[in-house]
Formats: sequence, structure tokens, C-alpha cells
Amino acid sequence: MVGGKGLGGRTLRLYLPLGFFLVAMLFPFYWMAITSIKPNRELYSQKIMPLVVHQPTLKHYVDLFADTNFLTWTYNTMLVASVTTVISLVLGVMIAYPLARMNFPGAAVVAIGVAATYLVPQPLLFIPMADIINTLHLGDTLSAVMLTYPTLLIPFCAWLLMGYFKSVPRELEEAARIDGASRFQAMTRVVLPLCTPGLLSAGIFAFTLAQNEFLYALIFLTKSAVRTVPVGAITELIRGDVFYWGQLMAAALLGSVPVAIIYSFFVDYYVAGLTAGSVKS
Amino acid sequence: MTTRREFLAGTLAAAGAAALTPRSSGAAPKSMSVVHESSFIKPFDDFFVKTLAPEYEKLTGIKMNYEPVSVGGMLTRLTTMAETKSGPEITATGINWPHLFDNSLVDVTDVAGEIGKKLGGWHEIVQDVVVVNKKWKALPWGNIGQLENYRTDWFKEVGVTKFPETWEDLLAAGRLLKKKGHPFGFELGHGFGDNHGWLYPLLWSYGGREVDRDGKTVLIDSSETAAAVDFCRRFFKETMLEDVLGWTDVNNNKAFLGEQISCTNNASSILVVAKRDFPEIGKVTDHALNPHGPKGRFHVLNAQSHAIMTYASDVKAAKDFLRWLYDDKQLSRWLIAGDAYYAPFLHAYDNHAMWNPEPRYMPYKEALKTSRYHAWPGPVGHAASESVAKYVLVDMFAKACRGDSTKDVIATAAGQLKQIYKTKV
Amino acid sequence: MAVGPASIARPAPTTGRPLSLRGVLEREGVFSWAMLAPGVLFLLAFVAYPFFYGIFLSFQDRRVASPGTFVGLANFVALAQDPVFWQVARNTFIYTIAATALKMVGGLGMALVMNQQFRGKNLARAFLLLPFIVPTVLSTVAWMWILDPTFSVINWSLLHSGLMTQTFSWLGNATLAMVSIIAVNTWRGLPFYGITLLAGLQTISPDLYEAAAMDGATLAQRFWHITIPVLKPVLVIVTMFSVIFTFSDFQLVYILTHGGPANATHLFATYAFDIGMSAGVLGMGAAVALAMLPPLALLIVALTLYLRRE
Repeated sequence: MVGGKGLGGRTLRLYLPLGFFLVAMLFPFYWMAITSIKPNRELYSQKIMPLVVHQPTLKHYVDLFADTNFLTWTYNTMLVASVTTVISLVLGVMIAYPLARMNFPGAAVVAIGVAATYLVPQPLLFIPMADIINTLHLGDTLSAVMLTYPTLLIPFCAWLLMGYFKSVPRELEEAARIDGASRFQAMTRVVLPLCTPGLLSAGIFAFTLAQNEFLYALIFLTKSAVRTVPVGAITELIRGDVFYWGQLMAAALLGSVPVAIIYSFFVDYYVAGLTAGSVKS
Repeated sequence: MTTRREFLAGTLAAAGAAALTPRSSGAAPKSMSVVHESSFIKPFDDFFVKTLAPEYEKLTGIKMNYEPVSVGGMLTRLTTMAETKSGPEITATGINWPHLFDNSLVDVTDVAGEIGKKLGGWHEIVQDVVVVNKKWKALPWGNIGQLENYRTDWFKEVGVTKFPETWEDLLAAGRLLKKKGHPFGFELGHGFGDNHGWLYPLLWSYGGREVDRDGKTVLIDSSETAAAVDFCRRFFKETMLEDVLGWTDVNNNKAFLGEQISCTNNASSILVVAKRDFPEIGKVTDHALNPHGPKGRFHVLNAQSHAIMTYASDVKAAKDFLRWLYDDKQLSRWLIAGDAYYAPFLHAYDNHAMWNPEPRYMPYKEALKTSRYHAWPGPVGHAASESVAKYVLVDMFAKACRGDSTKDVIATAAGQLKQIYKTKV
Repeated sequence: MAVGPASIARPAPTTGRPLSLRGVLEREGVFSWAMLAPGVLFLLAFVAYPFFYGIFLSFQDRRVASPGTFVGLANFVALAQDPVFWQVARNTFIYTIAATALKMVGGLGMALVMNQQFRGKNLARAFLLLPFIVPTVLSTVAWMWILDPTFSVINWSLLHSGLMTQTFSWLGNATLAMVSIIAVNTWRGLPFYGITLLAGLQTISPDLYEAAAMDGATLAQRFWHITIPVLKPVLVIVTMFSVIFTFSDFQLVYILTHGGPANATHLFATYAFDIGMSAGVLGMGAAVALAMLPPLALLIVALTLYLRRE
């Protein structure tokens, strides 16, 4: 063991590196929190130590709620993230299950095809996608993003779930079928429940990606009332060349800290899900 | 529990119903929509919504909806509207968009003529950007100018009481100010407004040009351009911080209000915010015209205009609204509500009372005479937009400032322009 | 075929009744395709179709609000002669490779640390994920201040502690700007690596290490011969996703530098956006985006082959 078993060793192995990571990862959040309660005049002052607030104010938070559509954006973001997560999980399950557990003609082609969609990154699609959304007259509707986000999420969900599905022994499924279950029932009543951690893990990751998405939202959602938090904050908390820094940081914190708290409950499942998914694929 | 089949059937039915729903096309509209880039001056937007729209409704019974789009999002919105042929009937346009969207905009020459006659005639320069193939495609209401913003107190400290008239004089002042810890901060990065706001004028004022009038010859490789580039390099080295090379539009505002810099090129947003949040800085901030070069003094043009989309169900109603809006009674009140942020292009307003409350905005009015659109004197169209979006000019100057040779940067820019303009205008 | 809440025990369809609907659906091939159909159709409609449409666009001179004309490979030829395009390609490769390497090493470090027992571990794990959770555009706005030469805490601390006399221009100097975006991307993506590798580490039983230690294996040997082999499949898969995301990164650069200074941080995605959306030259924008595919495909194929070899 590095450094031996004593406190010194533990410091070297654990506390020092842990401290380093915590500071490196969380320092910007400390800065964001400070800025969200700092009055503008302190923010712009070169003389003050940037890491300290002298006269904290809640003005930025108040302005965020009163002067902007932040609540609407948050609602939109949660709605879009939830819907697209569900769509992606359902379709992900439906793709992953046969590929993971069945033999059928064309399996290889489908597998390669689905793998190929991992490769197609967003910037490649946004121009033709804009054309398609415009043709369908879905511009400026949440449907536009609800239909397009799953393209980013399904490949990952399918990959992760395939790994997990592969890890469930065939005997369980066969036993259920002998008992008279259809394949569908065997899937939904036997295999899927065993893979709950995988589903949760895929769901969490999909949700995170969805609420973070920016490019499609930027192009498809130009009306304030339909915007999501990332694009709403960037386009409306910025008037021309003036950034409303305090409000932007308040929005950042309000947008992410609740999700982090939810994560802390599910993180075990997330980790467990990734284990089976990645190690066993 | 719905089966897959039921789910699919339901979706198909919904899609089918949506596809078959007829879009309503009325005779006289009950309402029309105007989409605008949200104004930096909030009262300007509010005036439309709270005063002008209700007045018009009382007059004609037509409800006018006002749809603000965030700054920078207008082009995307307009693109969507033009491609889908649906959306608000009246749109705001800027820069050279009337040329880009020519096919989607209604000919408003008649309305323009009437307004011009009533209000002293239109400024010549704006016609370049709103008149396409001899037809007016948009009606300008104001310019968003880019001018010199500077700290009067610091300039006075180094003995400069009147803003320098020439670039060389400005450089001399900057040299002194940098020594005192108050450098200049002119944007040389990939923003949109504050870089072009001084770099095009700089090029033009030394006699440099990107292309000639018909777009067939690339003119950037010239001794005039080299002179401008060499000046820019000295200007950067002697008066500015290295950081400006990476600045986007927000950085110079931040730097000015944070008292890092003493001079920059910007719209009037710095003064507006200073007066609101940093009054002591506001007291010592003023505007001035871009300096002279050997071949003249220039500014960039960004004319905000209204245009009517060809898909509008009642073009006459839209035209009537614009006629009403541009009547002096409405237009002057609206412009005053905007705190003279927009400099109008009608000669009747050249000496209007609206400039009086804040005389520091007068230079924006003065600048109209010498304002030119991006890529002037070349053609106003797609190629100009491409050159701007690819930062051809900005990068040329920025690379020179960071140390590349004048010959190299001009050659690169020339190569890029040749590729851009070889395609049709 | 309504599947109600009744128990699983239903008479199984025998192979002697292949024509009943239930019987048909039970066949492996039919069931599989029935399951695959909606997802595959969705991906065909929203990925495959736009992809081929994008290829179609890239062969056209198509400007916004105007019809397009077919020009064959003209857009690609123009790009090949565009020095900015090659700069963009170089930038994207450097950015992707450097950031991925840093995330891999950093993530492994984080995983090794987090694999130990201590109080508050769950909370720490959740908070260490924050950079990955917070919307990138917003955290990037915060980084604008952290990297500002005057207001940057980094610079302020360096200056005031007397370590430096000059401040760095993190976003004005071309080299430092690239370093900055790599750093911010690493900061953002490291938790993803860390948590995923942690998952892999947790499958290794401590007994394995103890047995090896008793056999005389050193720390390094235990690491290379136990830890790394188990982690390899995880590492490769995570790296594959990370490479795809990083190669096509848009938000970070769009907010922080918009490709500046002088194209030093311009990536494929931001360049395609500028050309397609800001200039309205949709055909060439599509061409830039398409140009991403060959290098990306090569990277992925290389990774896949490497994985299959194991």
C-alpha cells in the first residue's frame, strides 16, 4: 500500500488526493456561488480579493425569478429531459434486448447500424435537422427537441443496457417461458426487473445529457416561453454585450445543485449499472 | 397497459391529424405579429407593447403582437421563418439581411417613398443595405453605431482634453495611458460588433478595401492595407493588453466597467450600464467618433429595419401598419423611448430634440454620415456575410498583432476572399 | 394482444399452432424485429435521414432562403484550399487527444482515490460529479472570469503571492487559449471517467490484491497486472464515447472564445456553425461537418479493433 498503513499513509493515499480533486472540481462552483450573491460593484472591483463577498445580496436571485422566464425554462428543461429520457429508455430497451439475447437474421447489420449512430455527432446533423424540423413546422415547439434529443441518448442507453442484459442468465428466462410466459412477459417480468440498476443508470445519464443540451435548443427554440435553461440563460441573461453575471451564476447553481442532490441518492445504482454495462460488454 | 400496436396507432393518428389540419388563411387579419431583436433599452420594447400596439388596435381593430428574440438570435429566427414560410408577418432585419433574404421579403418601395417624402428624405448610405435590385425591401428605423468609448478623466491626466482626431494621435495618447496603468482595450477576437466596429473603419481610413464594387476583384493586397496592418500592430503592442486578441463582445464592457481600460470601441451599452450601476464611472465616460486615417474617417453601419415577409396573408395590412408606425407622431415617440440609442436615418431627425437629454449620444448621430456596411464597397450579399462570419478581416489584423508578418496575413486574407467571392454574390 | 395483469401462468403456445398471432410473435426472429422496429425506425428517421440529407446538402451551393444548385465536390475542394479549415482540423485533433489523455489519467486517479472507504463517500461522489451535471454553457461562463487576466483568481493569487510579476493572458494568447479550453474540457469530463472507472475498480475483489501481494508482487506489478486488465474494456468504451463527444464539442468554445484568438481554438463544430448559421452558407457548413466523419471513424475503428483483440 502506498505510504504504509498509518495516518501518514492514509493522508498520502486518501486525504491529499481527495482534497486535490475536491478543490479542483468544486472550486468553480464556489466561485459561482460567491458571484451569485455578490453585488455588481464588488464583482467588477479589482481591489477586492475575488474569493470573498463583503456585502452579499440576494438581488440576483430575485431578479432571476422576477425579470426572466427562469421558472418556465426550468419547467421546460425538466419536462424535456424527463420525456426524452423515457423515450430513450424505452427505445433503448427495445433495441438492446434482441441484440443482447436473441439470434435472428439481420442481427449483425442492425448491431453495426446502431453502433454507427454512436459515431454520428451532433454538429453533423444540426443543419439538415434544422431543415427537417422546419419542414415539419415544429420550430419553436418543445416537440422539436423532444424528437431530436433521443438521437443523442438512445445509442448510449442501448449500449449500456446491452451489457446489462447479457449478464442475466438464460436459465431465468427459459424457466419463465416454461411456466407459460411469452417472450415479452419474460422480458418485462424477469429480465428487466433484474436490470433496474442498469435502467436507472442509463436513465440518469440520459437525463443529464438532455438537460445539458445546447446546440439543438439554440437553433430550434427561439421563443422565450419554450426555451430550456441552458439556452434561455445564455440568450436572455445576456443582452448584447452585457452579461448579467450574477443572474447567470444563480441560474447555474439553481439548475445543477438539485440534480446533484438527486444524484447522491442514485449514485450507487449509477455506479453499479455502469459496472455491469461496461465490464461485461 | 397499452400494447405497442396501440401506441403506434395512436401516434400515427395524431400525426395524420396534424398534417391534415388546414392552416387558417384569413381576409382582414385580426392580428399581426412583429418579431424584433430585444432592445438593449428595455423601455423601447415596452413602449411598443404598452403604448403603440394598443393605440393601433384602437385605431384599426388589429391586434399587434410583439415578439422579442434575444440578441444574436434574430438571424436564426429569420432563417427559420424564411425556410418554413411561416411565422410573424413583420420582422426586424439588420446588417445586410434584406439582401440575404431578398426572396422572402415584400417590395416596400411605395411605403419607403411616402415616408421619405414626409420626413425629409432617407440618408443615402442606408439605401445600400435595404434596397435590393432597385427595390426597397426593408424600412430602416435606426442605426446601432459603434463608436469610441473613453475615460475623460484619465485622458485629461495625460494632457489630452479633446479626443484625438487621428489614429496616430490616439496611439500616442494610448502609449502614455498604458504607462500609467490604463491601457486601451480594442476587441481583436471573434465577437461580432466591437471588433468590426473599429477594424473595418481602420482599414477604410487607410484606403484599404476588401473587394471592388462589383465583387470581381479582390483588392485587399495593397500598400494601403499594409499601412493599416502595420499601424494596427503598433497600436496593439504599444497601447493594449495581450488579452484583447481573444476578446468577444462582452469583454471590453467588463474591462471598461472594471476600470481595466481607458478606451475601446463599443455601442452605447457601456454608458447605459455605467449610468445605471456605476455612476462614478458614468460621469467620466464619453463617446467620440472613430479617428481619421490618411484617407478618411469611417464607421460601421448596422441599420435596424422592418421588413414584411412574402408569406404574410395580408400584405396591405402590414404595409398600412408600417405607414402608421413610421409617421412622425409614432416614430419620434418611439425613438425617444429608446433613449436615442438608435440613430434614425431620416433627415427630419437630424436636429431633433431627442438628442438633447444625453448629448453624449450625439456622436452616434454624427457618425451616420461616414457609416458604411461591412465589406463596403463590395456587393452587399452572401459573400459579404461569409467574409464576416469567417472573420477574414479580424483574423488578418489579429494575426499581425500577435507577430505574423504583414505580407503573410494579407496573403492569407486575400486567398480567403478570392475563394469567397468566386462564388456568386 | 392485450397483456393484462394476469399471472405469468398461461398455456404456452405450442409449436403446433404457428399461425396464431401469439405463435408468430413468439418466434425469435419476429419478436426481435418487432422489438427493434420502433427504435430502428426512429433512428432511421432522425439520424440516418438527416445524415444522408446532410451529404446531399454538402454537394450543393445552398444558401439560406434560396434554392440550392448541385456543385458536386466544389465545397470540399474549397475547404481543402481553406487554411482556416486545416487549422480547425489541427485544433480539433489536439484538443481531443490532449483532453482525452488528461481525463483518462485524471479519471483513473480519481477512481483510485474514491475506491477507498471514508465517511461521506456518497456525498463526495455526488459532488465530484457536479462539473459533469451543471449545464456546460453556464459553467463556461464562470470560467470566463476564472480565466480573465485581471479578475482571474488564478492570476490574482499568483500576483499577490509574489510568485509572478506578470499575468497570463489565458484567452488572448493562442497557445494558452488552447491550453485553457483543454483544461476546461478536462475539468468537465473528468468526473465521467472517474465514476465509470470507479465502477470497474469495484468489481475487483480485494482478495486478488492480497493474494498477489503475498506472492511478492509490487505495487506497480499489482497495478499493471490486475487493475489495468480489468479496467481495459471499461476504459476503451468510455474513451470511445469521450472521444466522440470531445471531437464534436461546441458549447465550450462557442461561449469562451468563439474560435478565437485568430482561429486558435476554432473546432469543426464551431466552424460549421459559423458558416452554416451565421453566414447562411448551408451547403458548405454541411461539408465542414461531414469532414469530421472520416477522422472520427478512423479513431473509433482503431479503438474497436483494439478491443476485439483482447
